[in-house]
Amino acid sequence: MSTTAGPSGSLTALALPAVVFTLLMIAFPFAYTLWLSFQSYTLGSSEHFAGAGNYLQLLNDPLFWNGIRITLVLYVLSLGLQLGLGTYIAVLLHGSKRFADVLRSLLISPFVLPPVVVGMMWLVILDPAIGAANWILQIAGLPRSDWLASPRWVIPTVALIDSWQWTPFVALIVLGGLQSLPPSVYEAAQIDGASRTGTFWRVTFPLLLPSIVTAAVLRSVDLLRFFDIIYITTQGGPNDASNTLNIYGFRQGFEFFNIGYASAIMITLSTIVLGAVLAMSYARRRAQW
Amino acid sequence: MKLWLTALALAAALGSAHAQDFNWRKDAGTTITFLSSNHPWANSVLKYKDEFTKLTGITVKVDTYQEQQMRQRLMTVMNANSDEVDLFMSLPSREGAQFAKAGWYANLEPFITKDVSKDYDFGDFSKGLVAAETHGSLVSGIPLNIEGPVLYYRKDIFKKCGVTPPKSLDDLLSVAKKIKACDPSITPFVSRGLKGALPYTFSVFLHNMGGSYMTAQRKSDLCSAAGKAALTLYATLLRDYGPPGVVNYNFYQISSLYRDGKAAMAFESSNELKSVMEGGARLNDTGVMLLPPGPGGSHPTVIGWGISVSAHSKHKEAAWYFVQWATSPAMQARLALMGIAPPRASVANDPSYRKWIDAEPVRREWIDAIDQANATGTSEVGYPIVANIASRDYIGQAVDDLLLGQKPVQQACAEADRELDALIAKD
Repeated sequence: MSTTAGPSGSLTALALPAVVFTLLMIAFPFAYTLWLSFQSYTLGSSEHFAGAGNYLQLLNDPLFWNGIRITLVLYVLSLGLQLGLGTYIAVLLHGSKRFADVLRSLLISPFVLPPVVVGMMWLVILDPAIGAANWILQIAGLPRSDWLASPRWVIPTVALIDSWQWTPFVALIVLGGLQSLPPSVYEAAQIDGASRTGTFWRVTFPLLLPSIVTAAVLRSVDLLRFFDIIYITTQGGPNDASNTLNIYGFRQGFEFFNIGYASAIMITLSTIVLGAVLAMSYARRRAQW
Repeated sequence: MKLWLTALALAAALGSAHAQDFNWRKDAGTTITFLSSNHPWANSVLKYKDEFTKLTGITVKVDTYQEQQMRQRLMTVMNANSDEVDLFMSLPSREGAQFAKAGWYANLEPFITKDVSKDYDFGDFSKGLVAAETHGSLVSGIPLNIEGPVLYYRKDIFKKCGVTPPKSLDDLLSVAKKIKACDPSITPFVSRGLKGALPYTFSVFLHNMGGSYMTAQRKSDLCSAAGKAALTLYATLLRDYGPPGVVNYNFYQISSLYRDGKAAMAFESSNELKSVMEGGARLNDTGVMLLPPGPGGSHPTVIGWGISVSAHSKHKEAAWYFVQWATSPAMQARLALMGIAPPRASVANDPSYRKWIDAEPVRREWIDAIDQANATGTSEVGYPIVANIASRDYIGQAVDDLLLGQKPVQQACAEADRELDALIAKD
């Protein structure tokens, strides 16, 4: 007993400080935010316990529901674009024999760029007065767009910017999945006389699902708490048309100094993200082959 | 308030009796941290910070952020009652009441009256700016500059289109209309469209139109006749005569559009003169004036940044020495030559500054507009309540509702008034 417990005991003792530190780093901010979300706390007024007051206020706040709607629309649009395009690019790359290494290196470049750079770059390109995007539309004989300044188009535009940056990331994950598929299933499909499209939908796609869902989980966390590009380009505007839940919570906390209310928004957002990740993880287990 | 300010000026004058004991090197060896905004004042003064260290033996560590990010950092530090920041920049017209109520400012009154060098003349500062820094018996900061929105306009385009500078708010619209017809490639008028930022420029329209944000009964008054007229005029100018995408415009887009020669009129901060004149292309074709008067007269906005000492600082004296050095008549005279409009009367009359002003006609018009704003202006930007920052968002919302054509004026102002009344009630 002592011969096995000794090393395992000392391993536990060695790992304990790191585990405690990590737990504290995660648990303390979360617990503190949770505690704040039950306080009525605005800068300049006294802090007191508000019970579920902040959460009840959320239910009657049209900007909160606007934030939920925008967050979900942006999530669905961006995730759909990135998974669809990412899978398509991965399949093209998998079949490409020439320049494969160069193309893969190029693919990495958008998502290594800092979001601030991406936001600033697209802000200039999409400027309705002097940007290149409208110039191209004009050359193509299409009407100009207000892009980020249009309440109608701001969310699709932000989804496009995010997809420009993150579709290659999805493509690389899916490409990894494609490269690990067993060749025997393709040989069997070929012997059975399956067409290329049929092979993709009936063989490749089901086998690729675990990789696609993995990419979806990773992107979901980022997309549901979407912040940086919106903050740089529109700050939630025009007129709250891109005011996602994360931006709304941030503004309540750091611009209007409504700390208790902002904490309630952030706890709600964290719950949504956690729920989505759990649902995706469940889906990933189901898709495993 | 007036009585208190007089007493403070008197005490400051009497304080000069202590000036003979004043020793710049009293806190030598101390290190202080200055949380600074990326503002022309800070960028100019910090070039000389080694001179301060040489004079006092105090080392200054500077953390510079963009304006909004600076506030976020401040919020994190002050909420934790941390002494990590000794000094910070603050805009009293925006956050003064809220930060004062939260206890973030150290009271500078004892320092002003008892710990000053002999050439530091506190009574020399603009009375309006000192009043904005005074909350009861608390003096929250020392004024750094004086600024307000002014109308930059292109004299050459005006001449080409046969128009003269607008003499009234109504005129502004007709001038914009004529320029649009005369040269469709030029944006006739540009100002702020970004929701949280536009009350700075919109407030002058409201006040000149004869409106005010609150009634004597402390009710929001955007739906008054003057309020609706101001909302309509501001939104019409931006929508019909502004650049595409103006709803997201803040100062940097406006300055850049005007500097590049693409706008005929830009209503933006006097502080942007340096940025507007960068490269020299606009030096000889630009005129500067206040927004023309409306039915309510002329009520320009005049505000100023201040420098404050943190209530949690463990080096308040050393921090005060930096404040004193950075806001001294000598330093403010040097900064004035870099386009930082001085909040001190003595600097405004300084011969080298007057010479700098006279070197370019545009500088003369610029300083005339600022002097006029200082003499007659108001610092009311948004609602005079603790939640001033939140109030600005509702004003911006009402303007943008009209600008984007989402609501008629009555609905936009009524919705804003409802939200603002709730905010005022919490004050």
